[in-house]
Parts: sequence; structure tokens; C-alpha cells
Amino acid sequence: MEGRTEDVAHPPLLDAEDRVTGRTPFVVNEEVSGMLHGKLVRSSAAHAHLVGVDTGAALAHPGVRAVVTGALLVARGGMELEFGPVVRDQPVLAYDAVRYIGEPIALVVASDPFVAEEAASLVEVTYDHLPAVFDVDEATAPGAPVLFRAEPERDPAFVDVTLRADYERNVCNVFSVVRGDASAAISSADHVFEHVFESPAAGAAPLETHVVVADARGDRVTVWTSTQTPHIVRRQLALLFSLPLNRVRVVVSALGGGFGAKAYAAIEPVAAVASRLVGAPVRIHLARDEEFVTSTKHAMRVRLRTAVTNDGLIVARQALARYNAGAYAGISPRKVMFGAYGLNGPYHIANVDIHVEAVCTNTPPAGAYRGFAINQAAWAYEQQMDIIAEALGIDAAEMRRRNLLRDGDTFCTGETLEHLHFHELLDTVTERIGWDPDAKPERDGDLVRAKGISCVIEGTITPSTSTATVRLNGDGSVDVLTSSVEMGQGMRPALASLVARRLGIDPGLVGVSYVDTDLTPYDQQTTASRSMASMGRASELATDDMVEKVRQLAAELLEADPSDVAVVGGHAQVVGVPSRRLSLAEVVGRSRVGNLHGEGTFVTEGGLDPFSGQGVGSAHWHQSLGAAEIEVDIATGKVRILRYAGALFAGDVVDAVGADHQCEGCLVFGVGNALFEELVFDKGQLTNASLADYMVPSLDDMPDAYGFDLATDENRDVHGLGEPALPPVAPAVANALYRATGVRIHSLPISAERVLRGVQAERRSGGAGGGTGGGTGGGGTGSRA
Amino acid sequence: MTALHEVPAEGGGGDVKVPDADGRVPVVLLVNGAPHRVHVRTTEVLLDVLREDLKLVGARNGCGVGMCGACTILRDGRAVSSCLTLAVLCEGADLRTIEGLRGGGGEGGEGGEGGGLSRVQRAFLEHRAFQCSYCTSGFILALEALLAVDSHPTEAAVREAFSGHLCRCGSYSRIMAAARQAAGLPSRGGLARGAVTGGVTGCAPDEEPGR
Repeated sequence: MEGRTEDVAHPPLLDAEDRVTGRTPFVVNEEVSGMLHGKLVRSSAAHAHLVGVDTGAALAHPGVRAVVTGALLVARGGMELEFGPVVRDQPVLAYDAVRYIGEPIALVVASDPFVAEEAASLVEVTYDHLPAVFDVDEATAPGAPVLFRAEPERDPAFVDVTLRADYERNVCNVFSVVRGDASAAISSADHVFEHVFESPAAGAAPLETHVVVADARGDRVTVWTSTQTPHIVRRQLALLFSLPLNRVRVVVSALGGGFGAKAYAAIEPVAAVASRLVGAPVRIHLARDEEFVTSTKHAMRVRLRTAVTNDGLIVARQALARYNAGAYAGISPRKVMFGAYGLNGPYHIANVDIHVEAVCTNTPPAGAYRGFAINQAAWAYEQQMDIIAEALGIDAAEMRRRNLLRDGDTFCTGETLEHLHFHELLDTVTERIGWDPDAKPERDGDLVRAKGISCVIEGTITPSTSTATVRLNGDGSVDVLTSSVEMGQGMRPALASLVARRLGIDPGLVGVSYVDTDLTPYDQQTTASRSMASMGRASELATDDMVEKVRQLAAELLEADPSDVAVVGGHAQVVGVPSRRLSLAEVVGRSRVGNLHGEGTFVTEGGLDPFSGQGVGSAHWHQSLGAAEIEVDIATGKVRILRYAGALFAGDVVDAVGADHQCEGCLVFGVGNALFEELVFDKGQLTNASLADYMVPSLDDMPDAYGFDLATDENRDVHGLGEPALPPVAPAVANALYRATGVRIHSLPISAERVLRGVQAERRSGGAGGGTGGGTGGGGTGSRA
Repeated sequence: MTALHEVPAEGGGGDVKVPDADGRVPVVLLVNGAPHRVHVRTTEVLLDVLREDLKLVGARNGCGVGMCGACTILRDGRAVSSCLTLAVLCEGADLRTIEGLRGGGGEGGEGGEGGGLSRVQRAFLEHRAFQCSYCTSGFILALEALLAVDSHPTEAAVREAFSGHLCRCGSYSRIMAAARQAAGLPSRGGLARGAVTGGVTGCAPDEEPGR
């Protein structure tokens, strides 16, 4: 295959042999001597007062050690009853009200997991049902059921989110981006387009479900847990038990996938509390149906109004978006910020007025999810771009070319953007897919082929802090101590490669720790595609700090001035005198220091004003484009993606294979989101909580051919690639579908049923892919000249 | 389901096993060539026995309903979902898990690097055909089972063998590249890729591994 360059370092395959022999130390393998097994009893009511929880029969079941209930926690006292990363609104176990079907009410603890499961079915819960609300627009309307009578307490440590909650409307936060005068610009614009687009809740569905073993005996709390956010979980547990941070230990080995769903405490609090009460370690391993109701992708609905000139230049955008937070806020109060600037898209728009609300409803809590808020935004604005282009008679690629952000442009946040590559990336994907502005759909019987494109901008979490320790051992090998979590993204081999590159040593000499908060230094979280950018930089700084110590020691040993000593190729040598040198091992050995530590801290500054959205939104901006060629069977509505080309700006790339993996992983999520992934609820009851009913892409769902071009710049920082390739996929497919059939799908997923209904409606109206488009799935199209 | 006597014993000499007070019956399982005497509940699935009793954790629970393939093991050479297989019905069967694969068995024994790995495992390693690797044991064993009955399978047969396996991280192209290598199929190009600006990082999924 062409396009491979040899100068890209191949990282060591840290742990690779373990991964093909079944030995990877997943959290699900953790066992602690004497541990008991817990099974959660979950609410069957969407919204209710708890009248009673009868645990008698369960307690009498042979082998049951305890049944922990919310009432028991209230009676015991001495521990907080609620938790949550931003606001503490989620009960460890429900004690007063339940707010979604699947909410934990009791934990049955037994020596055998099967006994715990059997006994859990014996717990009888009595409910006093309350009116429930599931839709974001209904939840914010006057007279809607209210989920929280009082505003929940904040987590005092989570200070970078300003809350504009309105709990009377079930709104747990609002974020606005306001720049220029959108109203005035719209009223004087040549054309205004307004549409509603929707995305459903979806499941991240990591193959390893949430699992935790907690030991809260004595004056410490230890959890071995499948979290992406060990230091946040540590803080959340410390708050729960009123302990100093150093009495809470969070240990995280390998995760079997995360994708956002394993961010922030989930089942750790109930396991820890149960362990404290029972006096033994307690393990909880979620079944697949439980996983689906533990953290979901946010459902979202947006009304998007965009004003353009006759030449297709965007002059203003207004948007009102509501993300469905589910029953508890979780990280939704931060997500609205990403959604707000995200809805601007990668375009230069002088007048912007975007409001994004996170709305609590009686559905399972929505959390972090690969593409954090941007998938839903891009689904809307990238389809609208095509609608506008067609209405104005402008080619879809040309429409984007005229509006895409360029170096020096001001973003909606007031930031002046640099290092933008959108136009080159657009050229790349259009070339790869064979974009022809005049192309007509290709028909072969019922099969119709066409192409679509989309463009996305995405930020990373800012401000952000990572710290790393790098340790040089007596034999010259190096350890990186980090609290970044290895969840399959290849963070460990990539960090090893980065540190080896800096020291000029064989990557095989560098090891990377798993997480143990007793030993590994602070990292904010493993989310937002930030690890290689943030922890990578911290590791480099730690390496530099260690090198400085090596130089000082080597200077003494070599009887030289420290300023004359350099570390090159794994040796400390006197500059200009190659014969006067010592290996790193010799420096440690001869100076009798045992080992050498370097410390590195990387902090990014920034943040946006929640009322205006002005400030610094992101330390760098992910730029991602996609082009899809699809084939739709107009007799059945089934869509197949034939080819997909992605192009992204990646900055400095540390691990080329890992980068490729991340992009393909995004495509798997994109294909699933585009074509079939949807959590289907019936009055709050999830109806497809199984991998037999909730489909995720298999090999045969993937395009026949796909690939990603990465624009790189080794003088720029590393841009994480965990997410950016995902958001363009679904709108590119939808745009291709429209070009093929004239059917415009406003609500994800692009299911065969929706497509077929659209095709049939299009036939009845006599449309042929031109002009109006077949509105399906709740979107209103409208244009006024 | 306690009517165990209705189940024909497989190679167990026709003994009727009566569950003890805990509802368990003794079973001898032949796993990776070694017999293991375990007491299992009559409803217990093989996956749980392998993981909990025998501490063989290479098979993993992903869905519990035979859809994801993470729990795949070989039963008499055939790839089966151990989450759907009752342990009591496995007496007398030749059970093999990822821990039981060795390079010496058949295709291996070529020595050198990865000599302890099977040809399929080596191909997965060389192509880095995994991300989190939770699904990897299942994909490897599915291919081992296919190659055991068809040493020169078509690409369609390989894809069919993988049809019951999910990789949520999305390593499909490298899994297929590894499979083509192990099955002796020609490698196949993906959508071409190259530089936009700066250096190229594109590493086509289907190209040959190499340094």
C-alpha cells in the first residue's frame, strides 16, 4: 500500500502478547479475598415516591448476607446520600423518589453472584406513581412534572462549570453563545432556513460492562473499578465518606472499552457503601441490560435557523437545542457548552445566537459519549448545509468551501483560530470519494448510489490538567507513572513511544503504569480525546525534568560543567566529546541515587462565559471531514455504506497504527449511529436492552472500503483522535441518501423503515430529488426569500 | 430446569446425576487437555465455570445471549458461545480456550519470535488487530475453528466465521488483515490514503505488517 512512510516510529507493542493470549488484566478479572457479590434491585417505575421496600424474603434466602436499601443508609447516617460529578443529585440508592426505570433501589449482597441475583427478584418494592415526562420539550413546558423540588447541592470541587439551572423547568444547565446581532442579520438576510433535527439516545456498549470491587473496611476506601476518571471517582468517594483524598484508593487496570460511558462515578458509590455496611469487599458486575441504563448518549432536538446571502455566505445562525440529560445531571451541565459552540459548526459566522439546555427527564442518565455533544450538532447543521446549498443552486462542496473557517478567522467564542486545514481536508475527501458536483445518482434496478460530505469542528476539554512522573531505573529502563486509563485506545504504547522518542532510547525500555491513585499522580480524566495531548505533554515535561537531573549527576561523574552535558541517544555525554559519555544506567548506578524521578505538569487555561460563550473554548480545535458513498435499496429502504473517506488534522502523530485504529473506531460508532443504533423507550421502559435487540456494527456493516487521511504537523501539539472522526459520518450518509432519493431524514437513525416511508412519500409527491425534499421524521423545512 | 435425567449423558456412562443440597452436580471437564472436577449448578453456563472456578479469564462475558462472541471457546474443535453452553452438558467434550492455544499444535513450531503463539495469534499480534482486546480471544478462536476444518478458506468463509463476533472498538480491518495472513489469502487494499500536509500517518488496514 502506498502512503506508508518509514519515519513514523512504530511504538512498542506494550502488552500486545497479553492481548492475543487472553491475559490482558481487565478490571472484570479483579478478585479480592473474601469478596461478596452484589446485585442491584432496580426501579420498575419511571417516576414515583418509594412507599416501601420489603427485603424480608430476600434476606431469608439462603446465602444472602445483606440487603442494603436507601432507607438503611438514611437511618445509618454518617455518609452522603447523593453523588454526581457536578451536582450531587443522584442517590446512592433511592430512598425517597425514583426518577427512571432501572434506578437502583437496593443491593442484595451474597457470597455467590447467582444467589444475589435470585434474591434480588424477591425484593418487593411499593410505589406511589407520579406523572412522568420523557421528552425534552414536554419537560420544559409549563405544567410538566418536576423531577427535583429543590436545587441539588453542587460538588464543591467542580468549579469550572457555572450553573444556570432552572429546576422548575427541569433544566439543569443552560449555555449560550452570543456574538454579533443574529436577529438583525436574519431580518435583513437574502434567505433564511429553519429546520428541526433530532438524535435519539444510544448506548456506548463497551463489551466489558461496568464492574467494581470495593473494600471500604476500616478507615480507607479502595475500589478496583472500570472507570475513565479515577481521580474524579476518588474525589467523589472522598466526599461521600467525608475522607481526605489519601484515604481513598482507586485502582484501574485495563478496560474493555469505555467510549465515555465509564466516565464519572456510577456503581462505585453503592459498592463502597455496601462494603462499609457489610464489612467485606463487595463486587458488582453489571449485566448487559443494566449497562444500557447506566449511561447513555444524549437524545437531542435542535431548531436551527441559518441566514445566508444569495452567494451562499452564512451571515447568521440561531439555535435552540435541548439535550436530554435523563433523570440525573451527570456531566450534562458541561455538555451544553460543547453543544453550544459545536452548533456553530466549522464555519465563519459573524452573528450567532445559540442556546443549549440540558433537560432532566424520567429516562436513564445520559453521560459522556464518544463525540461529546458534537454528533448531535453536526447531524443537524451538516444536513442543513446541503439543504441550503441545493436551494441556492450551489454545489454542496462549494457551499462549504465558501464558509469554512480559515486561519485568522474569529470563531463564535471570540477566539482567533490558527492552524486550520479545513479547505485542504475538504479537497482531500472530495478527491478520495470522487466528488462530482454534476453527478446524478447511479441507478441499477432498485439500487441507487450517491455521495455525501460533511465537515465538523470539535473542541477538547479546556481548562485541563495532567501530571506525570517519569522514573529512570538503575538498568536504564524507564517507567511512566500516569493516571490516564488504558481502555483500548492504545494510550500506554503511545506514551511509551513518546517518552522513548524524547530520550532517544528503544521504546521497549519504557513501561507505562496502570492507574493506582495511591501511586500514580493526578490526571483530570481520560476523556475528550485529551490523553495524548495532555498526558503526552506532561510525560514529555517529566522526561525533561528527569533529564535535567541526569545532566547534573553526569556532570559530576564526567567532571564537566552541567551546561556542557547533553542527553542523546540514551547517553549523557559531554558536548563535542563523544568519548566522554555515560549510559543512563551508569549515571544512576555510579551516583548511587537508586533511581531518578522527573515530574511534569501540563495545564491548559481557558473557559467560556456561560451567558455569552466568549472566552477560550478549546486548547486546540479538532478538524474533521467525511465523505460517504452509499447504496440504497429503494424497494426496502436499506442503506449500505459502500465507501467512506475521512480526513482530519492530527497535529503531531505519535503512533500511526493507533491513530488509524482510533479513526476506524470512530467509523464503527458513526456507522451504528447513522444506520441503526437507538435506545427505544416505551414510556420510560427501555425495550431493546440486549445486544440481540440493540444492534452495533459487525464486520459486514462496515463499508467495503474506507480510510482516513491525517494532515500532520510535527511542530504542533498532538491532537487526540479518539473522537473527531465520528461526528461527520451520520450527516455524510444522510446527505448521500438525499442525493440518491430526495429523501431527507431529520431523525436518526437512518433506518430502513424511515427511508422506505420517505421514498414512498417522495413517489406520491412526484419529487425526484430536487427542490423540496421529502421531510420525514419530524423536521419542518422552510425557506423564505 | 432440574429434570437432568431427561438429558442424555454424553460420554459419562449414562449415570443419572442428582443435584446435591446446593443444587450442584459434580462434573469432570476436559479443558485444554487437563481434566477438572467441578461442582456446578445445573443452570450454570460454561463461561462462568471457566472464569470463576478454573480462573481461565480469556473468555469474557459481553452480552450473555450469544450475540457478541467474546465468550467463544472451542468445543470438540467447533467455536461455541460458552455463555449459552450449560456446563453440565460438557462432560466428555474436548474444551479449549485461548489459554490452550499453542504454536506447537499443527501450524506452529516455527520457532523464533512468538514461537509460543499459534499462527492465528501471531497474525493478530503482527497486524495489531485489536484495541481493547476484550473480543480478541473470540475472533482468534473462531478463525482457529475454521482453519481446523478448512486450511484454505475463502474470504467469504472467514467473514462468515466472524459474523457472530463484535469488535466495539473497531479493529475490523486489521482483524481481516490478520485473518487473511493466517488463512493464506491475498492482502487487500483499503481506500487509498496519503499525505495532505506534513507527514503521512495513514497505515492502510489491509497492507502487510512490517517494520
